[in-house]
Amino acid sequence: MKTRKHKSDLIILFTTLGLMALGLIVIYAIGPMRANVLNSTYGTDYDPNSFFLGQLRSCALSLVAFFIAFKVVPYKYLQKYSKPIMIAAIIMSVLLWLLAKMGSSLARCELGECRWFNFGFISFQPAEFLKLALVIYLADFLTRKKADIGKWREFWLPLLIVCGISLGLVVVAQGDLGSGVALIAIIFGMILMSGVPTRQYLIMIAVVLAISVVAVATSAHRMQRVDAWVATLTGGESSDSTYHIENAMMAIGVGGFFGVGIGNSVQATGYLPESINDSVFAIMGETFGFVGLCLIVIVFGMLLLRMLKVARGTAEPDNRLFVVGVFSWMLAQVVVNIMAMTSLIPVTGITLPLLSYGGTSMIFIAFAIGCVCQLSCYTSREVITNEDISSRRGVRRAHHSSRRRSS
Amino acid sequence: MSQNNISVRFDILRNIVLAALAIIIVRLFFIQIIEHSNWVAKADEQHTILETITPKRGEIYMMDKGDPVAVVLNQTTYQIIIDPAVTEKSVIEDVIDKYAKDYVVADINDIYSKEGLRYAIVAKNVPRATAEEIANSGASAVWLKKTNQRVYPEGDLASGLVGFVNSDGLGQYGVEGSLNQLLSGKEGLLKTTADVNKVALSIGNDNIKIPAEDGKNVVLSVDRSLEKGIEELAVDAINQTAATNASVLIMNPNDGKVVAMANLPNYHPDNYGDVTDASAYINYTTEVPYEPASVCKNFAFSAAINEGLMTPETTYFNQGYEIIDGWKIQNAEQRSMLYGAISMKTALYWSLNTGSIYALKLLGGDPSSITQAGREKLYDYYYNKFRLGQATGIELIEAEGFIPDPNEGWGRDSVYANMTFGQNLGITMIQTASAFSAVVNGGTYHTPSIVEGTLENGEIVKESASDSSEKPESEKILSDETSAMMREMLVNNRNYKARAGIDRPGYAVGGKSGTAQVIKNGAYDDTMSETVGTYIGYVSTDGELPKYVIMVKMWGEGQYLDGGIASNLFDSVSNYLIDYYKIKPRI
Repeated sequence: MKTRKHKSDLIILFTTLGLMALGLIVIYAIGPMRANVLNSTYGTDYDPNSFFLGQLRSCALSLVAFFIAFKVVPYKYLQKYSKPIMIAAIIMSVLLWLLAKMGSSLARCELGECRWFNFGFISFQPAEFLKLALVIYLADFLTRKKADIGKWREFWLPLLIVCGISLGLVVVAQGDLGSGVALIAIIFGMILMSGVPTRQYLIMIAVVLAISVVAVATSAHRMQRVDAWVATLTGGESSDSTYHIENAMMAIGVGGFFGVGIGNSVQATGYLPESINDSVFAIMGETFGFVGLCLIVIVFGMLLLRMLKVARGTAEPDNRLFVVGVFSWMLAQVVVNIMAMTSLIPVTGITLPLLSYGGTSMIFIAFAIGCVCQLSCYTSREVITNEDISSRRGVRRAHHSSRRRSS
Repeated sequence: MSQNNISVRFDILRNIVLAALAIIIVRLFFIQIIEHSNWVAKADEQHTILETITPKRGEIYMMDKGDPVAVVLNQTTYQIIIDPAVTEKSVIEDVIDKYAKDYVVADINDIYSKEGLRYAIVAKNVPRATAEEIANSGASAVWLKKTNQRVYPEGDLASGLVGFVNSDGLGQYGVEGSLNQLLSGKEGLLKTTADVNKVALSIGNDNIKIPAEDGKNVVLSVDRSLEKGIEELAVDAINQTAATNASVLIMNPNDGKVVAMANLPNYHPDNYGDVTDASAYINYTTEVPYEPASVCKNFAFSAAINEGLMTPETTYFNQGYEIIDGWKIQNAEQRSMLYGAISMKTALYWSLNTGSIYALKLLGGDPSSITQAGREKLYDYYYNKFRLGQATGIELIEAEGFIPDPNEGWGRDSVYANMTFGQNLGITMIQTASAFSAVVNGGTYHTPSIVEGTLENGEIVKESASDSSEKPESEKILSDETSAMMREMLVNNRNYKARAGIDRPGYAVGGKSGTAQVIKNGAYDDTMSETVGTYIGYVSTDGELPKYVIMVKMWGEGQYLDGGIASNLFDSVSNYLIDYYKIKPRI
């Protein structure tokens, strides 16, 4: 069955483009500061415009990815090749892990964590591809297993294997907890909408929660972050581990109601770590103030709620699951990033979608949103009500009979 | 799964979004609005650098044949500072090895063994050229800090007069100490928002920059070459006698300008820290009151002559001693030919204490005893006219000294008797020499000075050199006749030197010696085991007013040094002076 094609969701389109443009403006303002700090501290030789040009390139590539996903590649092809895509994504991560183990220069490592392929002029983060692949794969898997939902061997076991491998590669091999959080959000969101029994779903949450607590408590590095978070929340003593979050909050706090204005951020001149990527929200807080941040948060909210609306309106279960996956991915990154910057949760290295400096993450999220836009052309006009699917189908068929095609 | 169920789950997701956004916005409101001023204050603390801009310290000049020459200069050197957390050990070791081996002040291994260290000075006094090479070597997190260093092209010349600058940049002792404010100038202030590497940013509205005012270049009236020559003579005198110390002061009696001020031994201001005893820093000519002994007879005699109470020919009865307040005050010279009626001129020649006590008696109007009126008169001359026992106002660190009160305390008569021959009081060399200048120059007291002016664009600017803008004015305190009589007696004092050919013909050289007992355990040590030798005098062309007053003091712990020993140094100084200034003899 196909719903009649109509215009795509313009709100998703424009909020996405608007956020990308805003990110570009902010990087334009603070990129030279970042270059200066790196040059004077580490003796590097960054051109003042290099970060802006990098972001410009990322935006251009992201727009291409967005429109390919939106207009060129029909979603059904992705669905068709979901398995090979997933396998390719896993292979990439495995390959990176092996290269890093061998000490190859093709694996780019920072602070001991190897998360990037390095091809000289360009680098590539396979975890981002893995997120997209998992969304595509789970959308197909959960739809295919509809009849077996809730069964251990047919449903939970393969799910556990795929998700376990993905999480293991990202969190353990690449040490990327932020991407891990995004993956878990994707898995949770999509399984929730796949229709698993509530009791099983709650058990799953409890198990994952227990594992997470153990994982955090047994890692000195992660406990340090938790301690630092508690220290900032309770006004405890400043230390090296509270430095990042304190400076993020300082940037946001200094912004006040209207902000200090573009180009006047002092925290971006080297005080705030990761000012152009993970901490860009804090710099925006300093620059645009409470008003600006509220607008940004509301724009993200609109984007997320529109995705949810598209998902609700999508008749095809696998399409719906895909949109929910992208929604969960986006939601996790936005909420975790912003909450970390405002000290509502401990700091986790996670980028703010579409705003942070960075190529791979933006390109893949843009591609994913592009797919959502494509699918938004096939929603039913009415919101799903309490009707039964069968009765609904009947209504649809009659209504769109002239355009009916077999599915 | 029922459609109903799906819808509920969508609602859950929607509510999660709304709740998260609401929490975030409330949190932002809290941070950005409620806590805003707290964060601004914290940020100011973190972002603002407050720096004083150090002004250039003024240089010190001496005169040489009428032109100023620098004796204390500045040199810009650099400190090398590293951030051990960023700069790799091998990198800094390479830099040091290559450029700055000679300037290292810290052990690199030590620095890197300390955890969490972000700042360490590894080298000091690095010259500019070397510093530039290091800056261009590209080593990361290596800073060069500019510092000013004092340089002394004349080495230890006049160190007691010049002083030094300590590691805090503060002038200590000598001119560096007394004119520190003038030399240091005024600090500037820089308040600015800075980036994490402390580099000033153009961001921020309350950035302040007040430029520093450089210190003034001070020109001393001291003549460099003369000073050098005199110091050599003083060193010779120390080497040839039991003295460990000698001070020589030469001034123009006609305007009070000091042209030489030597305190030997000198120390090297470059290595002022190597001095083991801080007394080495002292300028004995101005900072230490002492008893110049018989030199003061000139002042008692001048007073009596100026009051019209005596002349050099006035006679008195000398029995070799006087008993005052139960104390027996003896003459040092007890040869029998001096007993009986002798002239005051003779008394001065032989430095008889009974003679100066007689002058005090005359001042009181009763030749047979010391009276209150006499004490008050002597006090008036010593304290008010000769300005003894009070700071002269010279541009140096000065001690005041003291003149005992004529009416208070026990045994005033004996105290005042002692004062006529320069004991029981405390006065500095500069006070003594300035008063003596008035005695010989025709009777006018000039406030001594050692600063010629400040050097601005190569020109000496006279005013504003001294902090004490209110300098006492010159004052006529003795009559011309008094001064003439004193000169006559002072030249007479030295006729044995003239006969010996020490004082050359055609010149007028007058002088008076002094040998002071030292107070040991609260009383004058009559065994004379330690004495301080003083000599004061003047040189001139015969028949003319004095051109230079010279005062010499020699001493040493536990050593007997009398005025005669001091007079030998005076002799060589006076002759050196005649040659140096090419003073013409009367033909």
